[in-house]
Amino acid sequence: MASLDPRKAGPLAMAPVAALLVVGFLVPLVLVAWLSLMPERTFGLDAGLTLANYATAFEDGYIVPLGWSLFFAAATTAICLLVAWPMAKTLARRGSAFALVVTILVALPIFVSESVRLFGTALFLMPRGGILAGSLNALFGFQVGSILYTKTATLLGLVYVYLPFALFPMILGLSQVPRDQVEAARDLGASRWQVLREVELPNAMPGLLIGGLLVFVLAFGANTEANILGGQSVAVITKSIDQRFSYAQDWPLGSALTILVCAITAAVVFPVLERIDLDRLLRR
Amino acid sequence: MSDRTGPGFAPARDATAQEQLSVEQPALALRGVTRAFGASRAVDAVDLEIREGEFFTIVGPSGSGKSTLLRMLAGLDRPTAGDILLRGRRVNDVPANARPTAMVFQSLALFDHMSVGDNIAFALKMRGVARTERLERARGLLDVVHLPASYLDKPVTQCSGGERQRVALARALASDPDILFFDEPLSAIDNRLRKLLQVEIKELHRRTGKTFVYITHALEEAMVMSDRVALMRAGKIVQVAPPLEIYDRPTSRFVAEFMGEVNVWCAVREAGGVALPELGLAFPGETLPQAEGLLVARPEKLAMLGEGGGAQAIVAGTIVDEFVLGSRKQIHLRPDGDASRPIVFGEIPATPDAPAPGARVRLGLAFADCRFVTE
Repeated sequence: MASLDPRKAGPLAMAPVAALLVVGFLVPLVLVAWLSLMPERTFGLDAGLTLANYATAFEDGYIVPLGWSLFFAAATTAICLLVAWPMAKTLARRGSAFALVVTILVALPIFVSESVRLFGTALFLMPRGGILAGSLNALFGFQVGSILYTKTATLLGLVYVYLPFALFPMILGLSQVPRDQVEAARDLGASRWQVLREVELPNAMPGLLIGGLLVFVLAFGANTEANILGGQSVAVITKSIDQRFSYAQDWPLGSALTILVCAITAAVVFPVLERIDLDRLLRR
Repeated sequence: MSDRTGPGFAPARDATAQEQLSVEQPALALRGVTRAFGASRAVDAVDLEIREGEFFTIVGPSGSGKSTLLRMLAGLDRPTAGDILLRGRRVNDVPANARPTAMVFQSLALFDHMSVGDNIAFALKMRGVARTERLERARGLLDVVHLPASYLDKPVTQCSGGERQRVALARALASDPDILFFDEPLSAIDNRLRKLLQVEIKELHRRTGKTFVYITHALEEAMVMSDRVALMRAGKIVQVAPPLEIYDRPTSRFVAEFMGEVNVWCAVREAGGVALPELGLAFPGETLPQAEGLLVARPEKLAMLGEGGGAQAIVAGTIVDEFVLGSRKQIHLRPDGDASRPIVFGEIPATPDAPAPGARVRLGLAFADCRFVTE
């Protein structure tokens, strides 16, 4: 086999991924950005440039679904981080069979289609004949209402679906907390709370930030949870975009909304990414 | 610092404790302290008293349980049996953050995400001391450990090994603890720096008057620094004594051998005196506390005899090896006679005309320079 010039090996190895990213990510993004500057309801790319779609986005009340999406993303991130913390702490400390079993249990749902899981949750939450309400009624003769098709159900679904994305980076982050530093802090008079603030959080921060980012970005772009569990109770921005492209056949406005979502995501992601030392997280 | 009163700790006892202070209460007292991990006991029924203001060193091979013992003293681990009394007060259940002690860790355990100043001032921050005041204190402590004041804002990750040692020392001092614990802090640094820091730690002990409890596997470190040394083996304290005494008067073979090269001979009490059958020697008129046992003698106790010189007992033989120790050298002597006789360690001046390997010498030994020890 002819030996490969080492200077060419790197770029060659990168080529397939690079091609995929250009075709699947960069080109569509440029197209969408371009399309967002086309006049209302046009399908061509050669009309005159205009910012009218962005004006419409703000004037026609798209701020509301955008706000809901932001709210759900922020709330999901906060709840996921809070719920995952104690669990991650236990799992990071114990390298035992127990940890492995719990990890598998948490990871397992990821292998089931998201829609299937969410319909399952909907079945569980359904009023009267639903699994929760029905069981309570049958077993204890106890009637409960249902949160299905409410904003709460949407949030529940988001937390349920995206929790693993917060948990696993957090475990990685927490495994970076040096045990001796925790002990030193205790020895120097720190309460458990002070240990958390002074030693655990700063050391686990890269993992926390990555987990938080993943959940935020995914929840911000999520559509299914609001559709299946939220019903008509709430419209999120991804649903609006979907409608602009399909029912309304107004691609330029849909594109403008898409670009807005991308801009907001970038505004959140880049400043946070700048603070993470990925090398340190992966090497240790 | 808040004084936590544990259960069963009545104020009345507090008063008696105060009165007893004049009767020299130990800074730390251990009563049957045990730490079991499953079936094995890392620390096994240790009784110990460490005096106020003392430099106390626990020395022992790795795995002897000395680190586990220290962790219990610091409150980072709990004894499974026995009591730890800090100035007469039982502290078994008092967590590390509520004990008036501070530890210098083997790994140093510096907070890498903080500056030198924030590391040193950590204990003060935990107590709610204002930032300007605690940094002022940190500046003073930098001076104590011979670091320039400009280091206050330096990231601790940019410090050299020796500087990190000093930061760890200053950080432990910042809380103004009654007792300072050292868990082999100098084990990972080069020899010259270690010597320097040994001197500094000793000087710090003199200057602060605090109780220092130091752990090391390096015997020499224990000898130079300590007021008293405890030797630990397999979870038990084998002997506690000042360095010279533990060197000169070991009570067991383990201690004698741990403290350096030593001759160990079987000894038998006889009607006329004490016999060393392995060497075919006898000390007429002497006696042993038991019918038989071990006698140990340091190499330097076996002095070379000149022409016609005499001694209580004489070992004659041929030098087979030598190790120069500066102005003196240790010699390994093969005694005359039976080839099964053990090699004898002696010490002679390392002058140019001193006997070298191959030469025949006679070494004299006095019974008073031998110690009777248990196995």
